[in-house]
Amino acid sequence: MARTLAMFTDISLCIGCRACQVACKQWNELPMEDPEWTGTYQNHAHFTDKTYRLVRFVEKPQADGRLQWDLMSDVCKHCAQAGCLEACPTGAIYRTEYGTVNINQDACNGCRYCVSSCPFGVVAFNHDTGRASKCTFCNDRIHNGLGPACAKACPTESIQFGFRDELVAKAEKRVAKLKEMGYKEARLYGADSNDFLGGLNAFFLLLDKPGTYNLPDKPKLPQRNVFVDSLLSVGSAVLVGLGAIVAFRERGQGKGGGDNA
Amino acid sequence: MLKTPDWGMMIVFYFFLGGIAGGSYFTAAIADNFGGPRDRQVIRLGYWLSLPLVLICGILLIADLGVPARFLNMLFTFKFWDPMSIGAWMVGVFGLFSFLSCVLSLSSSEAMVTLRRKVSLVGTLAGFFLASYTGVLLSATALPFWSEARLMGALFLASGASTGMAAISLLLFLSGGSTGEAWGKVKRADRYSMILELVILAVFLGLLGSAAAPIIQGQFAPLFWGGLVVAGLVVPLVLDFVGSKAKTLVALSAILVLAGGFILRYVLLMSIQA
Repeated sequence: MARTLAMFTDISLCIGCRACQVACKQWNELPMEDPEWTGTYQNHAHFTDKTYRLVRFVEKPQADGRLQWDLMSDVCKHCAQAGCLEACPTGAIYRTEYGTVNINQDACNGCRYCVSSCPFGVVAFNHDTGRASKCTFCNDRIHNGLGPACAKACPTESIQFGFRDELVAKAEKRVAKLKEMGYKEARLYGADSNDFLGGLNAFFLLLDKPGTYNLPDKPKLPQRNVFVDSLLSVGSAVLVGLGAIVAFRERGQGKGGGDNA
Repeated sequence: MLKTPDWGMMIVFYFFLGGIAGGSYFTAAIADNFGGPRDRQVIRLGYWLSLPLVLICGILLIADLGVPARFLNMLFTFKFWDPMSIGAWMVGVFGLFSFLSCVLSLSSSEAMVTLRRKVSLVGTLAGFFLASYTGVLLSATALPFWSEARLMGALFLASGASTGMAAISLLLFLSGGSTGEAWGKVKRADRYSMILELVILAVFLGLLGSAAAPIIQGQFAPLFWGGLVVAGLVVPLVLDFVGSKAKTLVALSAILVLAGGFILRYVLLMSIQA
């Protein structure tokens, strides 16, 4: 496996120009969608099958009556332990040699299990193709020595592309500096590879709690439930089976004696 | 913001019919292995009910993909930890056991009956799986309502058992076989399953806590409380204790149990999907 690539989105540098959103649409040939009224400048409200990069416009009323904007360019996290990838029954969702998560459109069969298995609500179902779609980390570009279109287009280097270990080191310096400058809630989201779905390959520097940006505090791998739920199902099966055996048992007769069904 | 998979009525029907198929099969298999000569009709009905149902299940799953041939894509992969992958395989495996049991039930030779019993013991495991894995599948998602309580699979299994047994009971009534002792046995097994289902449902709701909101309040609440809990579980249990002598009442209670099983799948799936 090649060295893991990553995208680091530092929201303290984002100016909300949406160049990333547009560059993504252009490079990936994603058609436009009808705009929707979200109550803020944000469009669209959520990721769709045609919107892989999305600038969130978070309005925070201040004590002095003014409005503060947190601008956060969101994207698929390319989790090291990816719920969508584990859920995929066809193997269409795979991990590239760079650590990114991609959907092989030809292999996807449209079961939509990945859609509900993403802890971030990223994967979307494309009704035109009948298949799931999401950010590809510009798979074609990174295999040709280019960074993702969004990172390339970002005019403030709010979105940075590079080797994960180098970006994490950079991000840690940046968050320390912001704290020094008085941003008390500044934090990294997904940089820690021990406690965050194995680490997010698209990680963020946030200025507030994750919930502010529609992110879960502690994303969990959906498949963690399979083992316990299966055991409890077995328990239920044993009880049902015993009940049926008690009901059908022939008293005073040997098992299966004399049946000529 | 989490996304729902847009599973519609085809999947609701699949979950419902898969439960009945699994339930009726393992009921027949248990009657086959532990019952006596008088259970012959239960055994046959159970096996023969599961076969068309599992066929319909397969058709529903394939049709839901939009482009039917794409179901083949699932057959290049086997992920034992992934309910969607292993489930797709097990529909086929269960279908095979169901088919074998049906064919073997045509013969009454000693050797065939012995073989059928052995086959059905293994098939019972597939039946249990088919009835419960859909619940585990829902709980292995990121959506809190589906994934917060650990009993979805156990609940689906108990419901699959109660609906499978109710279906056999109803078929016995319709085919005029409702006189014998076998009918009483099916009803008794069904009663145990319903009691278990009620208990699991109560614990399930307790574990879900506030995450149960989509079904215990709002527009799906009347269907859940009235259709499933009262009409689908409590009333049939009461009828079972009070009026078990009147055949039509027992048939009615079987219909209520079946409707309740359908409502269970319907509210769990549809309440959080637009």
